[in-house]
Amino acid sequence: MEIKSNLKEISNKNQIPVGPFHPLLEEAEYFNLTVDGETVVDIDMDTGWMHRGHEFISEQKSFTQSIYLVERICGICSTSHPLAFVHALEDIDNIEIPLRARYIRTLVGELERIHSHLLWVGLAGHFIGYDTVWMWAWKYREPVLQMFEIISGNRNHYGMMRVGGVGKDVDPASIPELNKILDMLVKKMNMIAKIINDDPVLRSRLIGVGVLTKKDAIDYCAVGPTSRASGVRGDVRKDEPIDAYDLVDFDEIITKNGDVYDKFVVRVLEIIESIKICRQCLNKLKEIKGPFFNNVKEISAGEGIGRYEAPRGEVFHYVRTDGTNRVVRHKVRAPSFNNIPTFQASCKGIPIADALITLAGVDPCYCCTERAIRVSDKHNKNKKIDLLKLSRDKTLYIRRNA
Amino acid sequence: MADYHEFIEKMGPKIKVEIRKKRRLYFQVKNDDILEVVDYLFNKMKCRLSTATATETYHGIEALYHFSDDNTGNYYCPRVVMKDKKNPEMNSITPMIKGAEWIEREMAEWWGIKFIGHPRPIPLLSRNHPENLNNPMRCRR
Repeated sequence: MEIKSNLKEISNKNQIPVGPFHPLLEEAEYFNLTVDGETVVDIDMDTGWMHRGHEFISEQKSFTQSIYLVERICGICSTSHPLAFVHALEDIDNIEIPLRARYIRTLVGELERIHSHLLWVGLAGHFIGYDTVWMWAWKYREPVLQMFEIISGNRNHYGMMRVGGVGKDVDPASIPELNKILDMLVKKMNMIAKIINDDPVLRSRLIGVGVLTKKDAIDYCAVGPTSRASGVRGDVRKDEPIDAYDLVDFDEIITKNGDVYDKFVVRVLEIIESIKICRQCLNKLKEIKGPFFNNVKEISAGEGIGRYEAPRGEVFHYVRTDGTNRVVRHKVRAPSFNNIPTFQASCKGIPIADALITLAGVDPCYCCTERAIRVSDKHNKNKKIDLLKLSRDKTLYIRRNA
Repeated sequence: MADYHEFIEKMGPKIKVEIRKKRRLYFQVKNDDILEVVDYLFNKMKCRLSTATATETYHGIEALYHFSDDNTGNYYCPRVVMKDKKNPEMNSITPMIKGAEWIEREMAEWWGIKFIGHPRPIPLLSRNHPENLNNPMRCRR
């Protein structure tokens, strides 16, 4: 009995660090996997590798300046953050926006979802060694960025959102060209959907991997495709249909298994739904004339909540104003902030080879998650920080205390 | 509005409504009652914790939780005000809602709020940071 007991205690537990700089991660983040043999038994996450300061900076800028600031929280969600922010400001005074602006906002938001999901589909293919999927997905993402260029003049950071509407109109002459790109995309997305359904490699590699149960998704308050793939209903576009979401027809995609395969399916089907929404918006933009911007003179003192269904889930902005032209408190919560902690549930008990695709499965965005930090001294004065020194100090600290 | 009415009636004197408008309900809760209110929102009404916001005001440190009722699109925002600015503390809701762990750690780190009963009270962003951040979001104005 003693020998057996001792053998049980001598387990083969090892620590595998992933990050903070790792080919799997597009951005800096640190995961420490505890493995017993080939099985992951625990995971610890250490955030804080990207010091930003958006919440604090926003409180020193005017509303319009802050729109450009929050646009730069994330390169992929550069519509979702400003849209949620203007929703929050509009929520304070219940500001109505012109119908044409509602459709333009929805169009740009859905194009963002398409290119973000295609980015993830490509990365997921790459992570599991299926580079054909990666090349195809990224090839078809390119025309979506061209659509952005046609609409806004930029491939990224579109500068479209304003309190009271949008900053730029969609040129009616460009609509046939935009529709032509959508025609091509639909065909290609149907092809990718068929591949997911048929391909034995994808199915055997993704089905049953990194399962997040419905209960865990609810307990961890997961959002977006991460929770919808686990059978939890919840989509801001349906729950609180602002902009033109109550005027367009689309389905909320929900699956029930919670594995990476279902997350893949949800995203691909959402792309097809987004194309459907974009078509409806473009058709309406052909018919609707009128302004695309209400000139809002001031925002009164109060509190406002703005949210938008970003590609990764609900983006949440809370603002408190005092009647001046800036916020006195600005809280930003990106979807990854809620989704990353679900690794505690989805990564335990899986083989180490599956851990990487499971980590990527929620489409984590670390620059969104680490949006604010500020260092001050004991007199509450801002410190000027030498980032290189700080970085080296941190490495030294970890080395000494490991 | 009907949902608000039922919730307000059920909670009775435990809550003090501050702002009530379309899809948004902000109300103040005493620290002793926060767990009961959160239990009702999360377990009975099946609301999702979206996040929480800490703010420093003249009256004290505020922790404002944001609960989303995804079936109706309504937001319920219980606010706990800690008047002792030097040692702000309140009950943690993390033992009830796992999804509150990170945001409460963040609020503790930036605002110096002590969350009583938090299962993992370690800094979220500066765990291995060589500098003492000293509650960086406090006393800004």
